[in-house]
Amino acid sequence: MSEQRFASRFLLPGAVWLLLFFLVPLGILLAISFGTTDDLGNSLYGWHPSNYADAFDPLFAPVLLRSVGYAFATVVLCLVIGYPIAYYIARFGGRRKNALIALVVLPFFVNYLVRTYAWVAILGDEGVFNGAANTNIRFLNTPYAVVGGLVYGYLAFMILPIYAALDRMDPALIEAGKDLYGSRWNTFRHVTFPHTFQGVLAGGVLVFLPAVGDFVSAQLLGGPDEYMVGNLIQQQFFAAENWPFGAALTTLMMGFLLIFMVMYLRSAAKASREATA
Amino acid sequence: MSTVAEAPAAVTPERAATRPPKDFDRPRFLRLFAWLFYLVMFAPIALVVLFSFNSTRSLQKFDGFSFRWYERFFESESLHSSLQASIEIALVTMVVATALGTLLAYGLVRARTRWSGAANILMLVPLVTPEIVAGVSALLLFTQIGLNLSLTTIMLGHITFSISYVTVVVRGRLASLGPEVENAALDLGATRWQTFRLVTLPELWPAVLAAGLLVFALSFDDFVMSFFTTGESPQPLPVRIWSAIRFGVTPTINAIGSFMLAISLVTVGLALLLPRLLGRKESAVGVLLGREGA
Repeated sequence: MSEQRFASRFLLPGAVWLLLFFLVPLGILLAISFGTTDDLGNSLYGWHPSNYADAFDPLFAPVLLRSVGYAFATVVLCLVIGYPIAYYIARFGGRRKNALIALVVLPFFVNYLVRTYAWVAILGDEGVFNGAANTNIRFLNTPYAVVGGLVYGYLAFMILPIYAALDRMDPALIEAGKDLYGSRWNTFRHVTFPHTFQGVLAGGVLVFLPAVGDFVSAQLLGGPDEYMVGNLIQQQFFAAENWPFGAALTTLMMGFLLIFMVMYLRSAAKASREATA
Repeated sequence: MSTVAEAPAAVTPERAATRPPKDFDRPRFLRLFAWLFYLVMFAPIALVVLFSFNSTRSLQKFDGFSFRWYERFFESESLHSSLQASIEIALVTMVVATALGTLLAYGLVRARTRWSGAANILMLVPLVTPEIVAGVSALLLFTQIGLNLSLTTIMLGHITFSISYVTVVVRGRLASLGPEVENAALDLGATRWQTFRLVTLPELWPAVLAAGLLVFALSFDDFVMSFFTTGESPQPLPVRIWSAIRFGVTPTINAIGSFMLAISLVTVGLALLLPRLLGRKESAVGVLLGREGA
C-alpha cells in the first residue's frame, strides 16, 4: 500500500464528521433562512426572501450596524492594548516569556459567563467600585460596558498572534533601524510594525469574528438598547420562535464574516507555507 | 520621537542623566502598562474566588470565611447532576475529538490527495466560525433529523468544534517530526500500520495528550454550543449559570465559577506540565500553541 493511500484513509473519519455535523448544518441553515413558519411556529421550507428584507427593516438594521461598530471598536481597543503587551513580553520577557504568555491565556480558561458576570458585580450601580469609591457612576447599560466586556473576553486572541510574530522577528532588525538613526517611533513604524503586520491582521480577524457574534456581553453588561445581532438571533430561537428569521440573520452574519474568514485563512496558509519552506 | 525637536530645552542635563539610555533597556512605561494589564485581567477572577468564600450574601463586603456557598452548590441535586453532565460531556468530547483530530492531522500532513486541500479548509473553517453560527446550525440539524435535544446532542456539537483544535496542535508536532524516522522504520520491514502505531504515535503522545486536555477544558467551559443544543435536564453548568445570572446575582454562582476555574486550571496545568512529565524538553506553551498561533 502506498504511503499516499495509507495516509489518506486517516483523513476520512474526521472529514466525514465535519461534513455531516458542520457543513450539512450550514446548508440546512441556508435552506431554513428562506423558509417560513406555520401557525404553531414550526419551521417550513419555502421561498421567502422576505426574511432577508426584514433584517434591514428600520427596527433591526440599527442592531446590525451596532454589532459591526462594537466589534470594530473592540478590535481597535484590543490592538491598542494588546500590541504593547505582546511587545513587552516578546522583547523584555526574558526567561519568564512563557510564563507571561501563559498568564495572558489563563483568564481565557475561566468561564466567559463568570468573567463577564464578575464585571457586573464590580461595575453595577451598587457594585464593588461604586461602593469602594463611594461614587454613583453608571457603568452598566452603556455601549462602553459592552465593548469593554468584548475587549476583556477576546484580548488574548489579539495578543497571541502578535506575540508569535514579534517572537519570530530578529531583534537585530530593530537595532539596525536605530543604528541608521531611526527614532524609536520611526523604527517602530518602518521596521517593527510592518514585520509583525501579518500577526496584527490575524489578531484583528480573530477578535472581530467572535465579537460580531457575541451576545453574552450585550445581554449582561448592556441592555436592549445595546443589543447586538447575536441577541437578536438568540431571541428568534428562544423567545420569538421565528426560526426562519433567526436563520436568515445568522446566514447574513456568516456571509458578511466570510470575507474576513477567507482573508485570515489565506494569510494563515501563506504563513505556514513560509514557515515550512 | 517626533516631538523631540519641539522641546529640547525641557530636558535638563540631570534629567537626561537619570533617564535610562534609549536602547535595549526595559522601558518603564511598558512595564507599568503590563502590570496594569495583568491586574485588570485578574481582578474580576480574584473577586469571584474571594467572594465565593464569603459568609454573607454581600458581593461588596467580605464578612468572613465560610464554605456555605459551596455546600449549597454540592447539596443542590439539580446542580450536582449538571456538574456530572458537564464532566460527562467533556470526557466523551475529549476522547472522540482527540481520536478524530489526531487521525485527521496525520492524514493532512502525510497524504497529498485531491481531497487534502478541501479537507484542510473543512478543518480550518470551524476555528474561525462564530460559535453562535455553529450553535444555531447544529440546533437546526438536530431538529430536522428529529433527534431529541439531550446530552448526546451537546456532545455531538462539542466534538464538532473540538476536532480542529486537536488537528492544529497535533499537526504542528507532526510537521516538525518529519517523515525520516517513519521511513527508517519502513526500511527495517515494519508495515505502514506498525510504523504508525509503534513509531509515529509514541512521538506524538505529548501533543495528543495536551490537545485532549485542552479540548476537555474547552468543552467543560463551553456555553454557546451547549446553550443551543441542550435539552431540558440535566443542563450543563454554564447553561445553568446563564439562567441563574439572568435572575440576578447570587453568591452560589461565585462558588460554581470558582469550582469550574479549579477544574480548568488542573486540566490546563496538566496539559502544560505533561511534556515535562514525559521527559521531553520542549516548551509546553509551544506544543499547545503549535506553529499556527491561535
